[in-house]
Amino acid sequence: MDDDQTEEETAFVVDEVSKIIKESVEATIGANAYQHSRVNQWTTSVVEQCLSQLSKLGKPFKYIVTCIIMQKNGAGLQTASTCFWDNSTDGSCAVRWENKSMYCIVTVFGLAI
Amino acid sequence: MEEYHSSNESTFHSEEADSIVKECIESVVGNDDYSQSLVNKWTAGIVERCLTQLVKQGKPYKYIVTCAVMQKTGAGLHTANSCYWDTTMDGSSTVRWENRTMYCVVSVFAVAIA
Repeated sequence: MDDDQTEEETAFVVDEVSKIIKESVEATIGANAYQHSRVNQWTTSVVEQCLSQLSKLGKPFKYIVTCIIMQKNGAGLQTASTCFWDNSTDGSCAVRWENKSMYCIVTVFGLAI
Repeated sequence: MEEYHSSNESTFHSEEADSIVKECIESVVGNDDYSQSLVNKWTAGIVERCLTQLVKQGKPYKYIVTCAVMQKTGAGLHTANSCYWDTTMDGSSTVRWENRTMYCVVSVFAVAIA
């Protein structure tokens, strides 16, 4: 029983992180339409909110949060990432979100200390 | 001068990473035009190549390399990233590259291994 508990506290839990990301995105851009003058503020706010919620989890991890917001106008966008880390302790989570006028892709990487 | 004094091994040198990344992008994408059927291969090729070159440096780091390729059609694209880590030892570097038909943004994050 003890082992299970410690693992839960020190593992990268994808579902938990995915929930945090979705909440941050909805709270920041929710029902807004793409606006060139505000998008800078939005990306900053999404990453900062995610990061503060993640650090509140109190797990022994370093985090990297990236956010991409793209206007919907037919352009093609492809993203990829690759990681050189410890497969047993580190993890990542990517969430793709969209509304009528824009796409938002947020990725969180968690590296165990 | 202080830079030479402090241990070369335990700080992240973004200029080195920048030149590695630029060279990888040029060799994978170079002068090609945006192609929907090839873009998947390009992003995968760029990140893998960058990672291999970075790991070859033999420094005690974990690496994360991300790459975004976007077709030039006038759409707006914004990216941001935020990191919760040890600011004395960890670091990142972002390279923005473009040719006639596409933009390519590659970010490298290096996290020191204790």
